[in-house]
Amino acid sequence: MATWDELSEALEDYTASCNTNDRLRKMQRDWTRTLHFISSDTDVTFTMVVEAGEITGTPAGHHGVPDIVVTTDSETFCDMFWGDLNPVAKYLRGDIAVRGSQEDVMRLDAISYVIWPDA
Amino acid sequence: MSQPGTGEIHLRRSVGTATATATSAGLAFAAIDYLGVVSIMAYAPGASGWLAIGIGACLMVLVAGVFSELNGLYPTAAGIRLYLGRALGTRTALTVTFTYMTTVVLVIAADAFLIGAALRHVLHEPAGLAYLWIAILLAVATAANLRGVVLAGWIQTVVTYVVLASTAVVSIIAIFHVGGSFRTPLHLFGAKPLSGIQAIAFALFLFAAFEWVTTTAEEARGPTVISRALFLAPLLIWATSTLFLLGLSHLVPFAALHHSAFPQLLLGQAALGSVGELWMLAITVLTALNTFNGGFLVASRFIYAAAREGNLPPMLARLNLNAVPWVAVCTLATASAVLAAVIFATGQWLLLVAVGATLEAGIYALASASLLILRRKEDRDRPFRLRGGRGLAIAGTAIFSIFGLATGLADPADSSHFSPAPLLVILVLAAISALYVTLGVPRVQAATAARRAAAARPSRRPPRPTAEAPPSDPTVEPMEP
Repeated sequence: MATWDELSEALEDYTASCNTNDRLRKMQRDWTRTLHFISSDTDVTFTMVVEAGEITGTPAGHHGVPDIVVTTDSETFCDMFWGDLNPVAKYLRGDIAVRGSQEDVMRLDAISYVIWPDA
Repeated sequence: MSQPGTGEIHLRRSVGTATATATSAGLAFAAIDYLGVVSIMAYAPGASGWLAIGIGACLMVLVAGVFSELNGLYPTAAGIRLYLGRALGTRTALTVTFTYMTTVVLVIAADAFLIGAALRHVLHEPAGLAYLWIAILLAVATAANLRGVVLAGWIQTVVTYVVLASTAVVSIIAIFHVGGSFRTPLHLFGAKPLSGIQAIAFALFLFAAFEWVTTTAEEARGPTVISRALFLAPLLIWATSTLFLLGLSHLVPFAALHHSAFPQLLLGQAALGSVGELWMLAITVLTALNTFNGGFLVASRFIYAAAREGNLPPMLARLNLNAVPWVAVCTLATASAVLAAVIFATGQWLLLVAVGATLEAGIYALASASLLILRRKEDRDRPFRLRGGRGLAIAGTAIFSIFGLATGLADPADSSHFSPAPLLVILVLAAISALYVTLGVPRVQAATAARRAAAARPSRRPPRPTAEAPPSDPTVEPMEP
């Protein structure tokens, strides 16, 4: 079970990796979304705000109306944001549950794929 | 863990019942459905095909119930992989899904061919130019997909309802047109009982792919939206197809229909002259919007996910700057163009109907069997539970297996003969899929593992301190990123 501090550290690294990746920024230039995350084992919730492909905030709690809601356990979230696991494999096994359009779900995975192609 | 779809989460953009129903009906009602109706008429004498479509629609209630419960258990775009995997094992699930996805290529190719043939017919061009139209249609669809163009939900909804309503209106005009007649409207099993069964089996094809709406479960407004769509969409298809069949049998001689790739144009011509023909041509072209948009999208994203998971070569997951899996889209387009060329050269479009009907019956039988197995394995609550589920699942497995064989051994070009061709095509596709899953997938996975080992990529996550701290409450001390 990962703590909020561990999650925050992972989110901070993920944000920096995304925002400094030129190819990803170009690919996601038309992607403005609000993502809600729910950690199923700790009940921790947080939000990710993406504006034109740039992650502009990852505050605790749920803010705004979401385009996508992602639910999984805290360890999976940590590994996912550190780029240590392949989100698609977890998703196809039903370990990560997502609410949102198929296109947004794919975009979310594309972020991990572009910044960590070997994960 | 919690499942999506069971809780009340309000998304900014979500799909309601009307859109989900249109999506379901739009996925099912393609240009090839007009040929599906003609295939029914080949086995059901006179106007009796309406009975076959009616019985087919009743069977769809069972299919809708089965998929509603399965979707309630696994409300995700990867649902079919999940429930087949949990019920029948991962290898079987992969084999079935790969085979199932070939139907997408089949439908895209068939629609490209049929629209090309219809355009050529109306424009009075030489036969050879039909393939030019096919190539143009596929090129436009591929370019739109590569640029990341996705039809908005409301456009899909409008297109679907316009296609269904227009087909129904032209059919009603044909039904009330003077000069026609309805022959033997109740004679479904009169000529040969087996022909009646084959007519019903072909009627199932009219509804084929309506269950793909379950892939939109993650964007549904509530847990019951997909179930409602699954029950409502077959009603729309039933009404439209029945009217179309009655219109055809009333006004167009079967001899003129049987070897035609555009029966809808013949109906339009017979009912309203050139205006009717042009109207039905416009409707035929409109069906391509849903087929190409939905088909390319569903199949290319499936290929992307399978490649990311390590079940297909990683090259197929490559993304362009529009976040589109371009290798997957180009592969689909090439396969569709090749298949359309084969149909164009051989004129075997009715074989595609038989192959599609057999595949769908097989999928319905497997879905029923999966429900039966999962009833034993999964006792958690679901938003929809099929009443009499075990008995109906057993019945569904048996009935759809029989119907699968009925179309698998049919020769729609000559209803008085049997032909193993449709079944053989599916067996070859399934054998290729099984061979790939058994031999190819382990190699792809081994190559991926070797690549990762060569990259020697260490875990990026910092090691955790030995004494684990209790989880803190972020709402008490929120952290700024």
